[in-house]
Amino acid sequence: MIPYAVAIRVRNERRRSAQRWIIPFWLVGLLLLPAALLLLPLALIVCAIARINPFPLLGAFWKIFVALKGTTVDVDDQHCSVSVQIS
Amino acid sequence: MNENRRQILEMLSAGKITADEAERLISAVEKEPEPPSGSSVKAKPKYIRVVVDDSGKGTTKANIRVPMQLLRSGVKLAALIPVQARDHVNSALHEHGIAFDLSQIKPENLEELIDQLDELTVDVDDKDVKVRVFCE
Repeated sequence: MIPYAVAIRVRNERRRSAQRWIIPFWLVGLLLLPAALLLLPLALIVCAIARINPFPLLGAFWKIFVALKGTTVDVDDQHCSVSVQIS
Repeated sequence: MNENRRQILEMLSAGKITADEAERLISAVEKEPEPPSGSSVKAKPKYIRVVVDDSGKGTTKANIRVPMQLLRSGVKLAALIPVQARDHVNSALHEHGIAFDLSQIKPENLEELIDQLDELTVDVDDKDVKVRVFCE
């Protein structure tokens, strides 16, 4: 199962209510797609120079992305608290 | 009734042992640990958690949960590092006093490495903060 969204919650002293964003990954992917297409030839050239097979590398990055599901990071400070949940 | 208890009672009825001896044997049998069943087998931990507590206030400053699968994927990515870059990283680690060789990370050792983390618990107590690292 691939992660589908990241939920970010930020609470600070100034605002009473917490700010909460839920960012779906398909939206991030859609926004990054043009940049990824532009950088693809460059990435292939770098892989060729470094003698790295790009396909296992791509597979490894995909596995990292898939494994992100369930990650949570909560940080509380006196003045601010941040919570990131990948689901 | 389990087999051990039945044997004890049979020995008692046959007159091989006295009632006191039978009682002692039954109590000894009852104290034996239960054999592991499917439900009592400890599940493999799925996450590694890092908790930073503020010792003074008793509050949690940071609570980080990382899936074990992410560690597996990360180690696999480390195995794809080119040889030249790996040498640079190794020499930099040695310069900082860390005797670790990235080339030792191999996929065949990976599962064993991750499995060893199951029992991992690290507790660091400081006067201000308390850090706990454990698997769950």
